[in-house]
Amino acid sequence: MTSTFVKNVGGDDGEGSAGNGLLCFTNCLLAMENGSLVEKDLWIDTSKGIIVDSQKTFFQLRERPSRIIDLGGAILSPGFLDIQINGAYGFDFSIYTGNDEEYVSGLTRIASRIVETGVTSLVPTIITQEQSLYPKLLSLLRPRKTKGGANLLGWHAEGPFLQLAKRGAHEPTLIRSAPKEIESFAETYGPELSATPPVVNGKEDVYVKIITAAPEIPGILSSIPALTRPLLSSSSSTSSASSTSSSEKKEYGVTFSIGHSIASSDIAAEAVKSGARLITHLFNAMPQLHHRDPSIIGLLGVSPAFNSSPSSPAKVQTKTSGSMTPRVAGVKEGKKTGIEVVKKKLNLASSTPGVVSEAISELPTPPGSPLLNPHTTAPSRAASISNLDLLEEGWRPYYGLIVDGIHSHPNSVRLAYMAHKDGCVLITDAMAFMDPHLPDGIYPWRDGKNLVRRGYKLFIEGSDTLAGSAVSMDSCIQNFARFTGCGLGEAIKCATYNPARCLRIENKKGTLRPGADADLTVIDPVGGDVLSVWVDGREVWSRE
Amino acid sequence: MRLIIRDDPASVGTYIGDYIAKRINDFKPTPERPFVLGLPTGSSPIPTYKHLIGLHKAGKISFENVVTFNMDEYVGLPQDHSESYHTFMFREFFSHIDIPPKNVHILNGNAVDLIGECKAYEQAIKDAGGIELFLGGIGEDGHIAFNEPGSSLTSRTRIKTLAYDTIQANARFFGNDISKVPRMALTVGVQTVMDSREVVVVVTGLRKALALSKAIEEGVNHLWTLSALQLHPWALIVADEDATNELHVKTVKYFKSIERVQEEVERNHEEVRRNSEGRQGNTW
Repeated sequence: MTSTFVKNVGGDDGEGSAGNGLLCFTNCLLAMENGSLVEKDLWIDTSKGIIVDSQKTFFQLRERPSRIIDLGGAILSPGFLDIQINGAYGFDFSIYTGNDEEYVSGLTRIASRIVETGVTSLVPTIITQEQSLYPKLLSLLRPRKTKGGANLLGWHAEGPFLQLAKRGAHEPTLIRSAPKEIESFAETYGPELSATPPVVNGKEDVYVKIITAAPEIPGILSSIPALTRPLLSSSSSTSSASSTSSSEKKEYGVTFSIGHSIASSDIAAEAVKSGARLITHLFNAMPQLHHRDPSIIGLLGVSPAFNSSPSSPAKVQTKTSGSMTPRVAGVKEGKKTGIEVVKKKLNLASSTPGVVSEAISELPTPPGSPLLNPHTTAPSRAASISNLDLLEEGWRPYYGLIVDGIHSHPNSVRLAYMAHKDGCVLITDAMAFMDPHLPDGIYPWRDGKNLVRRGYKLFIEGSDTLAGSAVSMDSCIQNFARFTGCGLGEAIKCATYNPARCLRIENKKGTLRPGADADLTVIDPVGGDVLSVWVDGREVWSRE
Repeated sequence: MRLIIRDDPASVGTYIGDYIAKRINDFKPTPERPFVLGLPTGSSPIPTYKHLIGLHKAGKISFENVVTFNMDEYVGLPQDHSESYHTFMFREFFSHIDIPPKNVHILNGNAVDLIGECKAYEQAIKDAGGIELFLGGIGEDGHIAFNEPGSSLTSRTRIKTLAYDTIQANARFFGNDISKVPRMALTVGVQTVMDSREVVVVVTGLRKALALSKAIEEGVNHLWTLSALQLHPWALIVADEDATNELHVKTVKYFKSIERVQEEVERNHEEVRRNSEGRQGNTW
């Protein structure tokens, strides 16, 4: 355990009193963007709530911090980001009871309490809803700053454009396709889909919109380029391959995530070329790795030197017309039986409704799948993206990993990480039962069932059926460091810089670079425990 | 001149760090009467800076009333470039101590009027009351600051073209690409250094051995600009064993004996002072 020591230079006695508002963290290891830990000071401006360039402040502004905090050798990390979290502390983002105030108070409760897990920014995730509920929920989930709590960055809509066979806990009757392509998206999600970021102090703030969808569902693949076209005004810091959008085209600025899908390798690759940047809870709700058609997981192995997926849209179209290439023809039988199995299991599954670990309680992937062809494939925009662009960044997507040791086996976690380090994004996918203070025991749940909580594992009473994740982000980081053997620095990167880059907000979040928001998490370098947390340059939580 | 010899660069740093700290503390600087310190960059002074930082963190020295002037800066290199001397000084020293930013002076190599910048620098040193102690290092060719061989020994702060050796030596900091190494620098002159009331020079490593021998065992010569130090009334060179490799055994022995005598003199003087203070105390 490390101790902190506060020193005020120049006679002022700390926060709120005299002094220049500058604060220096010293005797600490900074968690850098490349995953290294570097012994260095960090200067922040507490009045503006941002990290400052210390050297420029010293030589050009002729200022040095009036307050110094000695972190006693602790790690100083950017605050953690959780871009997939269903709820926590007894509140579920997906449940709206008709009362806005109640919903907002649930949001703020989570925001103010979750900082104890080191999370300073989160993207509340909602599972498939009644279509009429989307406009309301998404408007309530507009970015929100809470006093003394984590930042709510926007929303992650998981569904309703999902693959029925991989629906997990999503209500099957609400799952749909997008026959009118982008129009179907606009219809479903309502005005928030095209909303612009809120303006704070004359500057556009972050507005994260993530949609998890299955690209093999009709109308999805062709909608990706339009959905992911960045909001021009808010994307000044990032150069995008598709920044050529003309003004009459609507901009949505969505981060498209492939998930709850049985997309074939070809479709998955096509989705990435079209602009998909993320895979939702890798390994869960998708076909397992098949060496002949590695499907979505196979995207982690795509080589920039050798792109095995069809490079011309024409090839994909050939497949849509029904003609099979000789390579897949041999597996045709298997595919048929596969679908039958899916159908059978579907009937079985629909008789037991309720939220059951939506990432893991899925139908087993029948052998031979994923070989469903795209139902429709509009002319791809891949042709407009040059090979160079693919090489630069987007040729492999980021992927979310639930590192509770259950949703993905430690070996699988390491396998994925070794395949694609820079794409790794830790997520909790936590349910309302996520609360580090909740003691182990039996808790009433829905439909008269009880839940057994053991550590951060949740079971349905009387069974060994997992009922979702209750893992916190700080535990995920510690687990990840253990599972992969990487140091804490690299594990932290997967919960800070990687998700921020995925969302193209790495100029403000997930980094310690000057100008970024002073959202910080202080971590014990030995065990990885969170020691204190800062949001907008203010301490919002500390252990003890 | 005194030459102090220590085993290795770290011990040299400790010696000089302690020495400077003592000088500052004895000076009892105030905002009205600050201690004016001249500072170098380069690898030689790093152990000294490290030791001074340690003394500061231990509460044994404050730089609150210390004013600094750096020796030199490249021309045309952005101030926040990783190899600029602004970056070096901030990274290696200023960020770790309590010096007020307004007390720090480093030449601006990006000034529109470079000559004006040099003149203003000389004036600023004068306005601060002159430099109390100038800490320096030397190049393999015996240069002090960027006063390359052939520089006038009465030179003042000015623009200098770097010698080919220096450019080559610095290439390692610029990705081993000679074309990226700045060719010009602003530097204090030999006379600027000589005008300070005390000069302390760090000389460590085998590669500096010849320069040290030329500077102290031969005559004053503008081809080894450090040799001007022979004319300074209060100069101290601190070298490690490696740097003495080119010196005569006689030279080394002589300076080692001076150190012993000096210590004895200082001890005696201290005793006399304490005794006299004690007597004063009794009479009061």
